[in-house]
This record gives sequence, structure tokens and C-alpha cells, in this order.
Amino acid sequence: MRWSSAVRSRPAALTTAILAVLLLTAPSAEDKRVSIYTASAAYSLPVVDRDGQQYVSLLEALEPLGKLNARLDGNTWKLRFNQIDAEFKPGKNEGRVRGAKVRMEGPLFFENNRGLIPLASLPTLLARFLNVEVKSHPAARRLFVGNVATHFRSEVRNDALVVTFTAPVNPVISTEPGKLRMTFLREPVISDNEVIKFDGAPASSLSYVESNGRAELTVTGSVPLMATFANGGRTIRVAAAPGPAAQVTAPTFPAVAPAAQQPVPELQPGSPVAVLPSPPSTTTFPSPPAYLVVLDASHGGEERGAALAADLAEKDVTLALARQLRNELQQRGIATMMLRDGDLTLTAEQRAAMTSSAHPALFISIHAGSSGPAVRIFTAMLESSDAIPAAFLRWDSAQSAFTSASRVAAGEVQKRLAAKDVPSQVLSAAIRPLNNIAAAAFAIEVGPPKAKPESLLAADYQQQLASAVATAVINLRPRIAEAR
Amino acid sequence: MSGRALKIAFAIMLAAVIGTGGYVFVLKQKEEEQARRIAYTQPVSPPAAGPVERVPLYIAYDFEGVLRPRDVQMALPGEPSQRARAVLHALLTEYTGDPSPHKLAPGADVRAVFLVSDNLAVVDTNATFADGHRSGVFVETLTVASVVKTLAANLPGVRRVKILVEGKERETLAGHADLMTFYDVGRIDELMTQLE
Repeated sequence: MRWSSAVRSRPAALTTAILAVLLLTAPSAEDKRVSIYTASAAYSLPVVDRDGQQYVSLLEALEPLGKLNARLDGNTWKLRFNQIDAEFKPGKNEGRVRGAKVRMEGPLFFENNRGLIPLASLPTLLARFLNVEVKSHPAARRLFVGNVATHFRSEVRNDALVVTFTAPVNPVISTEPGKLRMTFLREPVISDNEVIKFDGAPASSLSYVESNGRAELTVTGSVPLMATFANGGRTIRVAAAPGPAAQVTAPTFPAVAPAAQQPVPELQPGSPVAVLPSPPSTTTFPSPPAYLVVLDASHGGEERGAALAADLAEKDVTLALARQLRNELQQRGIATMMLRDGDLTLTAEQRAAMTSSAHPALFISIHAGSSGPAVRIFTAMLESSDAIPAAFLRWDSAQSAFTSASRVAAGEVQKRLAAKDVPSQVLSAAIRPLNNIAAAAFAIEVGPPKAKPESLLAADYQQQLASAVATAVINLRPRIAEAR
Repeated sequence: MSGRALKIAFAIMLAAVIGTGGYVFVLKQKEEEQARRIAYTQPVSPPAAGPVERVPLYIAYDFEGVLRPRDVQMALPGEPSQRARAVLHALLTEYTGDPSPHKLAPGADVRAVFLVSDNLAVVDTNATFADGHRSGVFVETLTVASVVKTLAANLPGVRRVKILVEGKERETLAGHADLMTFYDVGRIDELMTQLE
């Protein structure tokens, strides 16, 4: 009898084993990420598994927060972060930060010139480096450096659920029948309550969850819901969506002429469109800064870009340069937004959509090449259109209404580079996502100043380029503002 | 259902899963082998059956960062699509040789050129052309400009060019130059002026 039972269970066990193997080898639906929120930056990093533990790159965790140099000296990985020295040994659980011993939850892995540390030890290490308290939500992989958390309160007022935040927010909003979901990718939104119930219409509850480096608020109601922003992004009002008869107001470009007089370009069936800002009279969106510059560090994540040297990928150079440019612009009081501030994979469509929703004055895409020493500045390879931008622009030629402004911007950058003895050339090229950007836009491809591609990472060269571009951005401000 | 029947059902399902997996694997191998064979059996030079003619090629020079015309003498077939392919083959041969003014991977070639309408040409390149291409905005733009300009110079009616890879659309040539777009000859002329 025992033998019979064993035989009977064998096929089931075999099937289970096959299913387990299939499940284990299947690609995960979503990559693991950790989000780090600080007073100066909010960013997200990929998390990898090593020896059954979650690991993260210490370099990428520190890079957005200050000046960082790292090198392998024999068997010791030495770091210098904002005048703070640290050292770790690959394979060892211990390291030193500010001369004091730090014990980690697992050994340091050294891969591709980067030290991977256990995610569980990241709060301790960040606290040591930054000398501030770091709070961790380990299950959700969210780290709060200092007192940065954004809280909210909610109340039903005038047939709407009004959620008020302690700082401006810009969540991704999605809806499904009876539900409206707000996903906070960059904001340190936290809540002590998982579910808040309401008696009044239109919302019956507001639930809060956090996972994989982000927070999510879901409003549940009995009718289709829509969200509007107010108070500079600090307030989100969720109300019943208007019926079809009420949805007749088409968004119009805030230009001098009325929308009815604007020629609307023909849209091809299925063509996605770039939506321009809608007037504040119909819906209130968080108003973007008057002169916002979007910085696009090209490539990232799985897309490495050009292999500039055996161990130097274009994606790393573009990120370093974008950060340098951000610092230069911020020092000059210019608002900036980086499309990626870590090793993220973003499609051209995602970059264009993120840019369009930020309504920038200027978009700068950063590339790096191994052919040098020239810097090349590219504008879209599109025919210039003199028409005033209409309510909707064709996705694949949204830039054509802005090519004149883009060429002016590229010319100014060339002038500022020449002032710093950096030769450059302004050219046109069909590179994504320039064609889809509804703002003045250019791409810059930097070549190495010396024969060695590694010289692209030289701090003085990057500073020289970033300073020239930042000066150009300042000089362009009145002209772009006038054109807008 | 009895235990024996269950066992048989499991065995059949398992055999089906393993069999299907094996079949898919064999199909994939065959497909890859066929692709390899196609890549290696590209003619070294296209068949030419016409009088020798002067053919302008627009050659990219990486070092100077320019595109310059150069005339070559070659026999061309009479049929316009084959002519176009022969011209582009000659252009890419300039790049795949050693030394090369604008290095392309050995084996990079044009599979076919389709003259779709009065002014639109579709160039179908092989996988090596794109897979082996160096990555960079400038180098990729030079390649595209060279192909488009050479085609337009030899087929004067052509005003727009679309580039495919192995018969399919591809997002970019090697991470930068947009291959989803239709290249306008007028815009390439502008680029040539900028390069001078």
C-alpha cells in the first residue's frame, strides 16, 4: 500500500517540480527597487539578489547626494564622499566609514567596478556618511533621509474627497471603474492608516499601501472618479467624473489667439498625441516652474548606449554629466528635472511623456561618444513649422513647432562652449525622443577631450561643459520666455 | 478517475510538454541556422548586366566629420530597384573594407531596395548592418545620411527613404539614429550643409 501511495504521488510531485522550475526561471513581472528620499533628491535604484539577500550599489546610492570618488586599491575598495573617507573589502562583512568600523548584514560584492552592499545595511551606511537619521520602511524598500516625509490629511467636502499634502506632489494617476489610484514614485508620502472610511459621496474609502519603493493611494467610490490638482500640487480633489455632455472643453494652448482660430493638424488614426497645457479655467494642474529645464541622461538600465571603453558605458557618462549640469543650473537658480537619476531603463516614449507632462521651457538630452574631441549639438531633423502650436500636436512631429527656438538654444550653447575653448558643431539628427518634445529641445553628444574615452569622466572636463551649457541656459531665458 | 488513469494522464501531459519544448527548440535552431546561412550567402557583388556608368556615392569620413561625393565607374542593372541595391552595395563596400573612412562591420549589406511610390524608397538592410554598427549619434547619423543621399543622387525622383533591418522596422540603428522615421532628402541636404 505504501509503495502504491508513493507511486501515485510521484506524477504530482514531478508536475509540481516542473511548475516550480518554470516559475523560478520566468522573468519577474517587476524589477525590485529601493527608493531613497532626501531633502535634495528623490531617486530609485535597482535591487539585486545575491546569496539570498537583497543588495544595492553603494555608489549609486551616494552619487546623487554629493561628490564621490571610488577606486580599488589592491583588495580594498576606497571611497571618498564629500571629504568623508570609507573603505570596504570585497567578501567581508565589515567596512570603515569616517574611520569607524561598520558591520554589514552580509559581505560586500564587487562587480563591474561597483560595490554591492546588503540593502538591510544601507540605512546604517547612509546615516554614517550623511550624519543624519535615516528611517527605513524595509518591507516597502523606502528610505527617508532626515525629516523628509510628506504626510496628508483627507476630508469629504462639497461632494469631493480633498486630500491635502504637506508638500507638493505629482503622482501618476490611473483610474478604473469606481477606483482612482495615485502612485507616488518620487514623493516620500507616508501614512499611519491603511484604510480611511468615509460616509459621504463620492468616495467610500481611501487606502494606502507602499511596496517596491513607492506609495499608492487608492480612492474607492461608487461612480467614475477624476482628480484635479490645486494649491501648487499640495491638494488633490477627487470628485465624480462629469458625464459625456460636460466633457466638451478641449484643452487649448495658452496662446494669444483663440483655439477656434487655430489650425488643428490632421491626426492619423491611432497616432498618439502630445497634449499641451490646458487652460487653468477648466482644470487646475500643479503649475510648473516658469523656466524649467528637463535633463535627459540618455540610455540607462539595460540599455547601456555606446561602449566607450571596455568598462565604460555611455549611460554612466551621461548620468554623471547630467548631474553635474543639474548642480550648475541649481546654483544659478534654475529649476531642473532629471528624467533619470539612477540606473533606470526608460523608453523614448516614457522620456517624451515625462517631459511633456512637466511642461518645460527647455529639454536637454545628453549623449556621449568615443569620437572626439568635438562636442556636437543636435536639433531635430524636422522641417520648421511657423504655425502656432495647436491644442494637439502629432506625436512624431511635436517638435516641428519649436525647431526655431531649439536652433537658437543650440546656437547659444555653441557660443558658450567656444568661450571656454571647446570646439562644437550644431547639426540636425533624427534621434529619439527629440521629435516628440513640445518645447525647445536639443541633444548634446560629448566626445573625450583626450584620446582616452575615460577622460569623459574627468571632473574638470565635465565641469567645463556643464558650466558652458548652464550659462547658455541662463542667457536663453528671456528669449525662450518670450517665445512661450 | 482511477489512480492508473491519473498516472497515464500525467504521463501524456508531461510527454506533451517535453515534446513541445523540444520541437520549439529545434525550430529555433533551424531558424537561427537559416538566418546564418542567409547572412553568409549574400552575393559578394550584385549581378550587373548593363553598361558601365558613372555612379556618385556620398562617402562619410569620420575623421573630418563630413560627407563627400565621389564618382565610381560600375556596371548597373537596368531595373531601378536592382540598380539602387547595386549602388548601395558599392557604397557599403567602401565602408566594410580596410582601411575604411567610416568603418562598418564586415558583411554589412543591403538586401533589397523597394521603390514604393514616385518618391519613396525603402531600403532593407541585413542584420549585420545594424547589429554590427558602432553606437553614437554622430556615427549613426553619418551612415544614414550617406545611404539616403547616395540613393537620392542615383534615383533623382526619390525624396523620402525608410530603412528596414531584415525586412522589419527597428527603433534605432545602434541606439541613436531613429529608424522608425522616414528620412527626407531635403533634411539630409541641410545636414550636409551643416557638416561643411
